[in-house]
Amino acid sequence: MWKYLLKKEFKQFLRDPGTPGMTLMFPFLIILVFPFASNMEIRNIKLVMVDNDCSEQSALMMEKCASSGYFEVKDIVNSPSEAQKMMDDGRIDAILTINAGFAKYIEGDVPATDALPVGIKVNTVNGTRGSIGSQYLNACVSSYVMSAKGMSGGTAGQSPQIDVTETYRYNEFLDYKEFMIPALIVIAITMMCGFLPALNIVSEKERGTIEQMNVTPVSKAAFIICKMVPYVVVAYFMVFSCMLLSWLAFGYGCAGSLLDVCIFTLAHIVVMASFGLLVSNYSENAQQAMFVIWFFSMAFMLVAGIFTPLESMPQWAKIVAYANPLTYYADAMRGIFLKGSTLADTWKDLVCLVGIGGTTTLWAILSYHKTN
Amino acid sequence: MVNTGEKTVVIRNLVKKFGDFTAVDNISFDVSKGEIFGFLGANGAGKTTAMRILCCLSHPTSGEGTVAGLDILTEQEKIKKRIGYMSQKFSLYPDLKVWENIELFGGIYGLTDKQIAQKTESMLKALSMENTRDMFVRDMPLGWKQKLAFSIAMVHDPQIVFLDEPTGGVDPVTRRNFWELIYEAASKGVTVFVTTHYMDEAEYCDRVSVMVDGRIEALGSPAELKKQYNASDMDGVFTKIAGRAERE
Repeated sequence: MWKYLLKKEFKQFLRDPGTPGMTLMFPFLIILVFPFASNMEIRNIKLVMVDNDCSEQSALMMEKCASSGYFEVKDIVNSPSEAQKMMDDGRIDAILTINAGFAKYIEGDVPATDALPVGIKVNTVNGTRGSIGSQYLNACVSSYVMSAKGMSGGTAGQSPQIDVTETYRYNEFLDYKEFMIPALIVIAITMMCGFLPALNIVSEKERGTIEQMNVTPVSKAAFIICKMVPYVVVAYFMVFSCMLLSWLAFGYGCAGSLLDVCIFTLAHIVVMASFGLLVSNYSENAQQAMFVIWFFSMAFMLVAGIFTPLESMPQWAKIVAYANPLTYYADAMRGIFLKGSTLADTWKDLVCLVGIGGTTTLWAILSYHKTN
Repeated sequence: MVNTGEKTVVIRNLVKKFGDFTAVDNISFDVSKGEIFGFLGANGAGKTTAMRILCCLSHPTSGEGTVAGLDILTEQEKIKKRIGYMSQKFSLYPDLKVWENIELFGGIYGLTDKQIAQKTESMLKALSMENTRDMFVRDMPLGWKQKLAFSIAMVHDPQIVFLDEPTGGVDPVTRRNFWELIYEAASKGVTVFVTTHYMDEAEYCDRVSVMVDGRIEALGSPAELKKQYNASDMDGVFTKIAGRAERE
């Protein structure tokens, strides 16, 4: 009986006009496109400078900022109100104002206690972009001031030096892509294994074929497990093709063992597929199932520490995150990929994932009635 | 081939309620082995609901009964091995080919690969559909689909086959062919339980029951009913009985 049901599911999967193509496309998108789009390094900050000093020093500092690579200098204007207007119109992100007396300050003609005659204004509609932009701008200005003062014989050399060396572990170049790729794989598996089985069962409901199954002696478990098997195969295909692609394209390997990746992936597939089946048991048509799964997928992704760190969420959001299977899968996958974590480090994630999966699977089987 | 001594369906005081709505209101009847039992009634009279209970797709609210000698309340999964069902909605897999559908349902009922191969051959031959073997079911005309669905419902040689409006929307010639299949099955001792809206088909049944508002208002052979209601054909019988309906 199992043989025939599995044959049916695989044939239907392969004959579907969309899914096989999507399965092949997804790894390319995940590895070659999405990491660049989900990059949170801030670049191309649109900057306008107001030069009220018109000195050689002010020109040099503007040059320094322009060449730092983070800014795109839109214009150099003479009046602060003109710059403000540009920001109000949303054309620029930041204004650097160099006030009169800047050259004198650098050359040490004023007491060192005086404030630096430089102003920074940042558009913080996008808070992250604004605050990081202002930090970059600050860093540019202070490094220029330090070096210029040093050259012109300032007091820099006399202050005691504290030498701080930073060592970055696990992702030495702070490469955002390397951090995001495991999480993007997590998202892909979630989407694939959440949506497709749910839509599959609902479409059997809509076509009435599920009734024909319910009137046969097929057991509930056989029917549901045979529905899940093709998606397990698809999910493994996606994980390994993503890993292969990211190694080919960026040279990223997986620091941990592939067996651990397999174990966690299986646990997550069971969680998502049973969740999808659970939703389909309570849905009468595809729209309804789509909407419910979409709602949960959004919540799962945003409250999982994938895009934003869990630690900075408020307490209530953390509680939501602890009920979210993605939290554990993403945490484990990042650990395994970047740090080479083993089961000894990630067993807590596995226990939680299996716990959630067990609950949803049981619920899915109990809520599926052949007779109602 | 009606064997009145052997009852394959025995139903007593069957009730099905959906909230306040009583879809099936205390019905009782027997069906004998090899009998073609017609189930008539206006739309919404409760025919499909009653049939779904007999097929174990639905739990009755109260009442009892046996199908193929097994209890409809407790032995549902066993009953499912012994019955065939063809629903109102066409329900073969449209994205599977003809032979693949036969293989799937044969396999589900526990036939071996060899038996499935034999069944496929004999079934397609009997339907004169040898050339459609590799056709996707979705590409077939409705009449062919219905004949195939009937044959697949019979793939495991069930004792009883339940047909819910099997000929809806089918042309007269194909309908005739379809009834030939039904007669053939009945002659082999299979009990056929069929709902229909076509009164000419009602004439082909050994006995018919007419449901009105969830109750069985009339039950008997077509000849008996025509006499009882003083009508020249089943159409007249049906109009007289169904006209009593109070609910929409």
